[in-house]
Amino acid sequence: MESLITAAARALEAGDPLGALNRVALRNDAPSLALRGIAMAQLGDLAKAKALLRSAARAFGPREAVARARCVVAEAEIALVLRDLNWPVKALAAARATLEKHGDLANAAHAGHIEARRLLLLGRIDEAERTLAELAASPLPPASQVVRELIVAGIAIRRVRTKDARDALARAAKAARLAKIPTLLAEVDSANLILNTPAARLIVRGDEHPLLLGEVERLATSTALVVDTFHHVVRRQGTAVSLGTRPVLFALARTLAQAWPADVSREILIAGAFRAKHADESHRARLRVEIGRLRTHLKPLADISATKQGFVLAPRKTRDVLVLARPVEEKHATVLAFLSDGEPWSSSALALALGTSPRTVQRALDELARSNKVQSFGHGRARRWMTPPVPGFPTGLLLPGLPLKT
Amino acid sequence: MKRSTAEIVREYGPFPGVEAVHGVSYDGAHVWFASGDKLNELDPDSGKIARSIDVAAHAGTAFDGRHLFQIAEDRIQKIDAATGQVLTTIPAPGGGGDSGLAWAEGSLWVGQYRERKIHQVDPDTGTVVRTIESNRFVTGVTWVDGELWHGTWEGEDSDVRRIDPDTGKVLEQLDMPEGTMVSGLESDGGDRLFCGGGASGKVRAIRRPKRG
Repeated sequence: MESLITAAARALEAGDPLGALNRVALRNDAPSLALRGIAMAQLGDLAKAKALLRSAARAFGPREAVARARCVVAEAEIALVLRDLNWPVKALAAARATLEKHGDLANAAHAGHIEARRLLLLGRIDEAERTLAELAASPLPPASQVVRELIVAGIAIRRVRTKDARDALARAAKAARLAKIPTLLAEVDSANLILNTPAARLIVRGDEHPLLLGEVERLATSTALVVDTFHHVVRRQGTAVSLGTRPVLFALARTLAQAWPADVSREILIAGAFRAKHADESHRARLRVEIGRLRTHLKPLADISATKQGFVLAPRKTRDVLVLARPVEEKHATVLAFLSDGEPWSSSALALALGTSPRTVQRALDELARSNKVQSFGHGRARRWMTPPVPGFPTGLLLPGLPLKT
Repeated sequence: MKRSTAEIVREYGPFPGVEAVHGVSYDGAHVWFASGDKLNELDPDSGKIARSIDVAAHAGTAFDGRHLFQIAEDRIQKIDAATGQVLTTIPAPGGGGDSGLAWAEGSLWVGQYRERKIHQVDPDTGTVVRTIESNRFVTGVTWVDGELWHGTWEGEDSDVRRIDPDTGKVLEQLDMPEGTMVSGLESDGGDRLFCGGGASGKVRAIRRPKRG
């Protein structure tokens, strides 16, 4: 098609975004805006890139549906990297359908991957898996294969299936070497790190051990009584009691399990479960009531006996009691868990991901910021929060293949 | 206006190392096509590339009997067909929005893609002599037997059309099959029109309808 557009697209493909910008910097026709948007995204100015891609999508004519769809996909990917999870998902789904209809299967797959990654970030694992399964099983370019396998690995990690995760990451590494894109290889490496970094702590008889994801997985077949602080359940093999909606009961169960086989004094139980500094008679009465309730809930798994000073757990059908806890326990552990991907998040995106109110998230962020555990930049609606970068899960910007020369 | 489906007589390529075909021309024996950083000389009988010239080649290609003209970025290069040397350059009329290129009657004819225009240009100075308006995005341009033909490519559709050089009115239109894009156009002086196939990396020969 056009001479300068061809020259700029070639420069962009050769990894020379500045060369591309030089050629189309002063032009405002649709393909130039799209090229400038992609170049700015590669140069890291995502806000500018987003604005340019949006104007490009508007500037393409009604007959240029595919070009417009590619702009929408690029904009969606930028939104994902910016953790703007409120970005209209319908527009992305429509763009993906357009690309599929016109046979641009590589970019359609890219759009599907962005959808799946968003769902994965939101913790909607089943939907992420369904989205991945929907994509046409056509041969993907190596870079897309890497992204696909990273998503498969992400799903497996969230489901604590280490072998599946390792297999997917091995396939991802192979494809990344074919793609010869260093940032993709680095992303596979950092995903591998997750499998080799403690994912949890095991507390047994007062002692603590760090656990890798694979070891957490093996715990599932253990015959011990496990108090699982990730899912707020008490379980032994197939039998599980969920205390997710009963935080006081769960706190009591956990305190008892951590001390087992020793007993726990009433004062400690009251301090831990009711957050009361000094135990008075009314606290003691309440403790008796709550222990009674816990006893009823735990009936299939354990009994709770009174001792001289307090209470002790008496597990049934097993001689082991384990507590599975987060590697680092923080008051705002869930907020930190999301921020630990090293990407900038808005407080509203965090609220969406956590399923809580923006106000609650804001309070947690303010508190974490006071102790220097998170930092923020930007102001107003553009304000973003992040932790010092630690290995995360798909965070890079690939951008749709833009065969703009066609 | 006569409208029919383009009849593809032969397909060439895709060729190794060629990502996309931009401009197309014909020197009386061989087809020349632009592929980004090369001008390739294609033997239309064997379907093989006889030789290539290393020169920036981002859009239209033309041949005046001795020289090749090739659009690169926002200029038109005049190239010695024998040595491959760039002799002179003139500014392209579309300032980089240029697409197709043809030689006829002592002038260069340059398509300006999104502006839907064809400019008649003085080959020595680059001065625009006159401008013909089309109603579609213009890709390749060619003259044959006093007929002005140009390729179109808008969105997902492409066709090859003969227009009235004075009014721009469409006289005849050959629709390309779905998914077949026309990025460049040149006549062989006979009943063949060579079309560049964009990112397909192909060159196609289609039949030019006979005059009754």
